[in-house]
Amino acid sequence: MHKRTFKTASVATLILSTMVLASCASADAGSEAGGDADGTLIVYTNSNGDGRGEWVTAQAKEAGIDIEIVGLGGADLANRIVAEKNNPVGDVVFGLNNMFFETLKDEEAVSAYEPSWSAEVDQESGDPKDGVFWPLVEQAIVTVYDTNKIPAADAPTEVADLWEDSAYEARYEVNTALGQATPQLVLAGLLAPYLDEDGDLGVSDKGWDQVQEYYAHGSPAEEGTDLYARMARGDVDFGVLPSSGITSRDAEYGTTTGVISPADGVPYVTEQIAVIAGTPREAAAEKFIDWFGSAETQGAFAAEFASYPVNEKARAEALPEVVELIESLPKQDIDYALTRENIGSWVEKTELEYLP
Amino acid sequence: MRNSSWRAMLRSPLVVVVLVVLVWFVATFLVLPNATLLISTFFPDGKISFRALEKLVSSERALNSLWHSFALAATLAVTVNVVGIFIVLVTDYFKIRGSRVLWLGYATTLIYGGIVLAAGYNFIYGKYGFITNAVRNVFPDIDPNWFSGYFAVVVVMTLATTTNHMLFLGSSLAKIDYQTIEAARNMGASTWRILWRIVLPALRPMIFAVTVLTFLTGLGALTAPLVLGGTDFQTIAPMILTFSKSSGSRDLAALLAIILGLATIVLLAMMNRVEKSGTYFSVAKVATPLQKQPIRNPVANVLVHVVAYMLFVIYALPVLLIVLFSFLEANAISTGTITWDAFTLANYATVFGTPAVLKPFVVSVVYSALASLIVVLGMLFVARVFQKHRNPMTSLLEYLLHIPWILPTILIALALVMTFDRPNPLIGGQVLTGTTMLLLVAYVIIKIPFTLRLLKAAFASVPESLEDAARILGAGPLFTLRTVLVPLVLPTAAAITALNFNSLLDDYDAAVFLYHPLYEPLGLAIRASTEGENNLDAMSITFVYTVLLMIIMGFTMWLVYGRGGASRRRRRSRPGRPRGGAGAAAVPVPMPVPVPVAAAAVTVAAVPAAVPAAAPGSQP
Amino acid sequence: MIRFENIEVTFGEQVAIPQLNLQVEQGEFFTLLGPSGCGKTTALRTLAGFIEPSAGEIYIDGKAASKLPSEKRSVGMVFQNYALFPSMSVRENIAFGLKVRKTGKVETDRLVDEIAAQVELTPEQLAKNVSELSGGQQQRVAIARALVLKPRILLLDEPLSNLDAKLRVQLREQLKNLQRELGITTVYVTHDQEEALTMSDRIAVFNHGVVEQVGTPEEIYNRSATEFVATFVGATNRLSGEFLQHLRGSGGEFLAAEKSSYLRLEKVGLQPPARGASIRLDGVIADRVYQGSHSTYTIDSNGSRLRALVPENGALPLAPGAKAQLYIDPSSILQY
Repeated sequence: MHKRTFKTASVATLILSTMVLASCASADAGSEAGGDADGTLIVYTNSNGDGRGEWVTAQAKEAGIDIEIVGLGGADLANRIVAEKNNPVGDVVFGLNNMFFETLKDEEAVSAYEPSWSAEVDQESGDPKDGVFWPLVEQAIVTVYDTNKIPAADAPTEVADLWEDSAYEARYEVNTALGQATPQLVLAGLLAPYLDEDGDLGVSDKGWDQVQEYYAHGSPAEEGTDLYARMARGDVDFGVLPSSGITSRDAEYGTTTGVISPADGVPYVTEQIAVIAGTPREAAAEKFIDWFGSAETQGAFAAEFASYPVNEKARAEALPEVVELIESLPKQDIDYALTRENIGSWVEKTELEYLP
Repeated sequence: MRNSSWRAMLRSPLVVVVLVVLVWFVATFLVLPNATLLISTFFPDGKISFRALEKLVSSERALNSLWHSFALAATLAVTVNVVGIFIVLVTDYFKIRGSRVLWLGYATTLIYGGIVLAAGYNFIYGKYGFITNAVRNVFPDIDPNWFSGYFAVVVVMTLATTTNHMLFLGSSLAKIDYQTIEAARNMGASTWRILWRIVLPALRPMIFAVTVLTFLTGLGALTAPLVLGGTDFQTIAPMILTFSKSSGSRDLAALLAIILGLATIVLLAMMNRVEKSGTYFSVAKVATPLQKQPIRNPVANVLVHVVAYMLFVIYALPVLLIVLFSFLEANAISTGTITWDAFTLANYATVFGTPAVLKPFVVSVVYSALASLIVVLGMLFVARVFQKHRNPMTSLLEYLLHIPWILPTILIALALVMTFDRPNPLIGGQVLTGTTMLLLVAYVIIKIPFTLRLLKAAFASVPESLEDAARILGAGPLFTLRTVLVPLVLPTAAAITALNFNSLLDDYDAAVFLYHPLYEPLGLAIRASTEGENNLDAMSITFVYTVLLMIIMGFTMWLVYGRGGASRRRRRSRPGRPRGGAGAAAVPVPMPVPVPVAAAAVTVAAVPAAVPAAAPGSQP
Repeated sequence: MIRFENIEVTFGEQVAIPQLNLQVEQGEFFTLLGPSGCGKTTALRTLAGFIEPSAGEIYIDGKAASKLPSEKRSVGMVFQNYALFPSMSVRENIAFGLKVRKTGKVETDRLVDEIAAQVELTPEQLAKNVSELSGGQQQRVAIARALVLKPRILLLDEPLSNLDAKLRVQLREQLKNLQRELGITTVYVTHDQEEALTMSDRIAVFNHGVVEQVGTPEEIYNRSATEFVATFVGATNRLSGEFLQHLRGSGGEFLAAEKSSYLRLEKVGLQPPARGASIRLDGVIADRVYQGSHSTYTIDSNGSRLRALVPENGALPLAPGAKAQLYIDPSSILQY
């Protein structure tokens, strides 16, 4: 090999390696998020929309905590936290529901911490066994309709009427995006009364019949079109919505939302908060939790975003119509630990067999 | 005659270095992460599990969706060719008034896609679309749902994927020897006969290649069926997406992806064979540049003009509509009642009013530019080695580099996070998870197949004797690559860079698991600003972002393709002038002079957005 | 100067050249002639260093060269399609090799101008893009590019095959003159026997990878060593057994009766030769094709249909059907 081939080789190495050597270098920004105990606190959440992320960031800053919000959809966020568990990027996570937090706990991706406000919340809404995650906000997953079109008196009293009564054929929206949190909760709510150890995936045949009927007689959600837009143009009359979305939609579409309140209750989700396991900024994360879950912050948050806080002291600050609505809806009895274990296979079965 | 023995291959230090780095890269970033993930899904307890296969076979819905995906791919292979060839003929072959304007209209699919494209068509022809409304005002009996299901999906996807034909076939057409057409006409052949017997057969290899790409796009169709398919026509990609996000069902996602992947591989093998057959790009003996043909039959002429302009309107309407809608209140869009006072700048105000709205743009531009440059630079060497040395080892590596076309991006991203979340000896004991590098690695990876294919084709169009000439003049392999070969494939490389850049700009699938919290890319920012239970302006804001993206993408395309296309056009607009000097017209010059080579390169390069979309589970 | 010693070239299973031995002298214009696919280009490319022989050795100036990379062999090459770099101007093309050698700019310009003048390229042409030149001009660029590095050997791979007939004849002479002026050892590959005969000092005739004959153009043409050479180089009449029998009976006893026998067209006389022995035979004119300086007659004689090349020097033409006398020197008959 003469001189030029050596040169050739070295230059080639240099250029080709750009694509790879670069990746070996630990980026300075990387170490910022990884190692040190100070620095910006990375807050993972699925509850940053509608300006909530900016609000929390600003309020935290006032309280002396520097945070950076990373907002992702519930399922994506949970997947990301689990995938990163050996080298966590985030420090604290809030907003995911019980089911997702059960998964995180199971994967040991979050670690236990008892916040200063633990006495002010109902332990049952969180993780009463181990105290790993703690409840912040409650929401009901409700079936809504516009009372301007359908008087409350004419509305069905049980959700099951929608698919059992042919009058509602294809008049209610079903969300088929089962990768998302709300449709999963709807499914969990449908199956909850029919749990049966001998049945397929722990559910009796009758339960699966319900699922089949529910999807078979509904009108699948349209990608990119809001439920209320569909109701406004007369496409459907009923649909499922987390309760916190009602107020703004009534304002936007001029509707007066009515809610079906079944005797067995509706599924409730409780948004939780926890420290991500293995974070070097554990102290800062705990400080953030103490601040964010406090009656003062939660009260302000509730006033700002029409939420229903779990923190009993904060509830005083919540909007009266929210409190009224939530308190009028009984909680459906759903075993979230069991649901968490099975929801994956339930979704899979539904996806494979029952979706339209 | 290539001396492709192992010995010859391994003697060149350049090749050895490229191969060593490539093997390391493939092993570290493609094989190891994905194999780990797949093994853990298919062999959950160290034993093979047929669970996924059983589930799949017993699910009527899954089989139906799978069948729909294949049916869609097969249909598109036909329809896209019909429309695509028509478009190419209208813009590049026949004398049509205003063909440049037509070209611009047909090219709109290059700068948008996915949900926005599907929604755009839905707003026009859907149940509440204004065309449907207008027609129903006259004929109330027409089914408002006429534009849905298989038919609608095929129509929209056909229009969305003809861009390949335009850019790919267009300059393939320019390379046809005009003398063959003159000769045929001299023998009394009609316009149609010439087209059918001379022009189209000459384009056949390219038509075949584009058909393969179209087929792949059809297999991976995601948003068009979601928006327009209705309950009767859902494809498999949404199911793959749902399953790959749930750890319990990931085996099903992988299995479905692998089924699509197998089809991809079969087609890929066919594509490789077409390339090897040699007729692909080597038709360089253009003696006379093509001249546009008048359609002599007046009736046919009028008819072709009418159809061409109708298509133009169909192509251009959704784009105009999206721009228009970006200035509309969300309520007006979704309920379909547009009045003058519904116009507003509020959507733009929302987007620009978001704190640090520019940052995601900057982050995405930097990531996309870096990834596009790196992948093109790296693949220049790799494609060169593959093209020059064909043996089992390079073939294997080539197929391995196509893994990103086979597995959904989400699985690739997850595999990367999970593999590099601990010190890995293959990358010098570094941890990549949580660094800004991992997303860059992912972006590079997912752009490899597209880049490799096109660069390989570009290299194939360079006559081998050029290398020999450089070599005998003393140039080393790197010097030859730099001074002789790269300038020839540069138009291709630049266009690939632009296309890669455009498609990475609003990526969501890879970024969602990989992005560094402090550097949020655009795809995430768009999603964040459109998500949320109280965010009713989601669609309008998507439109605003789409308009902004269209501006960036349009600019990039103009930088690379628009200017080149303009100069090509200018050159062709002086048909009487022989290309050579004085005696050149009489002397058939067999040397592939720069005009055809550059044109070939641009053509090849221009296989656009549809190819990345060929990955199962991505757009549109 | 150049010596091929037991060179064997294989492509996979296929043997392109089984065993090649050749010697090219200093300053010689040496042609490799043969039909396409005969291995002549392979031999040239092996000499250039693009193909590595599977056995044997090539000596250049007495030194073993088959392990040397192309650029170390001091050979210049002109390719069939010229292989000009389309992304560079004419000047850049010619200067390419100098740039590789990192020759200074002034020196480069001087050398390029010098060689351009030699191959008759004007300064205006030097500034052009290669695509703007005609075929003949492109060929000159290719030659200039090969010669500017002052190689000891010039390799030409069918450099005229892409040009039209008239230009080809013209460039043939120019090329030969240039070679003579420079005195450079030249190896030339062609399938055109006329080119080979007019330009070469010596010719090697290739067939199926084997050299059938090496010799001067006269030797190749007049004393073709093999049947292949006789039929491939120049036009021949194949003689029938009956015709041969007749010749043997009238003074050509030394001819072998059972061998294939050939006779060049111009060796068939219609007039008695001025000197030398000849045998007279009777024949009938079947056809005449007038070609200006000469005519080609087709004559039936003794069971053979012969063609004869007759100069048009004023004699009255013979019409088809006319009787004719043929005069043949039996020693000019080639037998195999």
